[in-house]
Amino acid sequence: MADKILRIEDLTMQFGGVVAVDHFSMVINQGEIVALIGPNGAGKTTAFNAVTGVYTPTSGSVYLVEKNITGMRPDQITSLGIARTFQNIRLFSSMTVFENVLTAHHLRRTSNVFTATLRLNAAEEARMRKDTEELLKRVDLYEFKDEMATSLPYGKQRLLEIVRALATKPKLLLLDEPAAGMNPQETEELGEFIKRIRKEFDLSIFIIEHHMNLVMGISDRIYVIEFGKQIAEGVPEEIQNNPAVIDAYLGGGEDL
Amino acid sequence: MSNVDKKKFSTPQIISAAIILAFYVLVFIAEQTLAPTSMIFTVLKKGATYALVAVSMNLLNGFTGIFSLGQAGFMLIGAYVYAIFTIPLTQRAAVYQYYNGGIVQFTLPVFVAMIMSGLVAAFFAYLIGLPVLRLKSDYLAVATLGFAEIIRAIFQWDKIGPLTNGSNMLRLFPTFNDFNIKNSNGEVVIYLSTLVPLLISGVCIALILLLINSTFGRALRAMKDDEISAEAMGIHLASHKQLAFCISSFFTGVGGAMLAMYQTTVQAKSFTTAMTYEILLIVVIGGIGSVTGSCLSSFLFVACSEWWLRFLDQKQVIGEFEVPLLRNGFRLVVFSIIIMIVVLFFRQGIMGTRELPDLFRKKRSAAKKGA
Repeated sequence: MADKILRIEDLTMQFGGVVAVDHFSMVINQGEIVALIGPNGAGKTTAFNAVTGVYTPTSGSVYLVEKNITGMRPDQITSLGIARTFQNIRLFSSMTVFENVLTAHHLRRTSNVFTATLRLNAAEEARMRKDTEELLKRVDLYEFKDEMATSLPYGKQRLLEIVRALATKPKLLLLDEPAAGMNPQETEELGEFIKRIRKEFDLSIFIIEHHMNLVMGISDRIYVIEFGKQIAEGVPEEIQNNPAVIDAYLGGGEDL
Repeated sequence: MSNVDKKKFSTPQIISAAIILAFYVLVFIAEQTLAPTSMIFTVLKKGATYALVAVSMNLLNGFTGIFSLGQAGFMLIGAYVYAIFTIPLTQRAAVYQYYNGGIVQFTLPVFVAMIMSGLVAAFFAYLIGLPVLRLKSDYLAVATLGFAEIIRAIFQWDKIGPLTNGSNMLRLFPTFNDFNIKNSNGEVVIYLSTLVPLLISGVCIALILLLINSTFGRALRAMKDDEISAEAMGIHLASHKQLAFCISSFFTGVGGAMLAMYQTTVQAKSFTTAMTYEILLIVVIGGIGSVTGSCLSSFLFVACSEWWLRFLDQKQVIGEFEVPLLRNGFRLVVFSIIIMIVVLFFRQGIMGTRELPDLFRKKRSAAKKGA
């Protein structure tokens, strides 16, 4: 059995009387792409936020490799190797494409504010810029490097957000609905891109997505939740034929 | 590497540097030739002081997204620290006449005292930042405003009189005029009383610019754009806010020391909230997020309030015609109207988020606006 990159144990996230995530457990093995799906409001993003430290879980724990990261701050969790993107794009709007990615390198700095201000960290700064340049070239965004990030076409903005997350050098990448708002062509390209970065950057990927074609096409395993509770887990074929899942999506008379 | 070196300074940057250098040379020449009492020097001296404080405020409001209104408080701390440590020993008995000459019985060199001013202001900022920086936007503004008021009251407290001279004024410390080089007869040989403050302010602003353009500056701007996403990029919000707050306060403290030198006297009751609002006004008019804008608008603001609009306060007679409305205080009415016009028609301030070199670049970055 491969190493477990992420282990969520009995996670519960409660807001007042609302239980958004209810005793949820899961694992992600090294190199896997694991999807979390479920109807709207099922608690998927809440689970993400509990993993990345935006929320402190009401109970339960989260382990990155063997380290307990429950209740840590988001920036600490990022520095330990979990990077994420957001459901609604959150790029730095006053910055160019290049600066957006460059900012992600701040995390791995060795300089302090004095050495950085007095330019005694020139070598480090040059390395940050070179890394950024290389990364942008690898993902074909280099030609846009001086554009304002928010002036890019929508699909490219989504891509840039993933690239910015990659620049923090993560072990595990969390993608929150990366295909939202994309057309079928872009979605297909995104699927290829996700598979490619898993290989090239030696990543494990945890993804929330509504586009079933994408989820079924790239996932190794899928977890399905409804009202915060896990209702199914398995490889894509199993999930597609699971009566509980079909019920959750189609059962209430609501069409998907 | 040679490729990087070649690109180090672009043409617009060289032009900007040349303009700044030319400005300093002009000031130097003007100072040797014009009468030292000319209003232009008053404007340049006060403008240099306000420019430094405005840029420090911009570092918080424009680049970090912390809305702080404690500027007057930190300037007060800076001014007092400077004055307390530079009054000559022989004069202390006269200044601290109600407190037996005060408790501080040594003096520091002027520049050491200025750095002390900054450090003490930064130390206070650190202590206040611990609880206050947890607040956001308006609440933070109110808390820092409150801090400035409290500091003003504390410094006038009779019990600490031996240190601060209570509610009496501090005076007789070295001022800008002491930068002039005199010969043995006490006659001024080279006038530097305007150039040196401009240089001090210039060096401090250059340091702030270097900070803004470093990896830390990028982190601060990221926080301003989107805190959640900055945190997800591994930026520790609390420590970076604290850092920006302390650095801004350091330079505000140095600005306070310069204000003390400009005014030649220091009294706590003059560091009012209105002073903070003046600085805020300068930052807004110049453009939130533009260091160049803050500098330009400081000089314009000081020139308007101290010089160009002064004629409105007196009765003016053109031929036989006496201009109506002109009387003491009318200047402020006109001044307010000008500010309203600027705010209405230049929503982004004079410079928006552009800096000096951007003015010499081709229109490409004009699309930056709506951000």
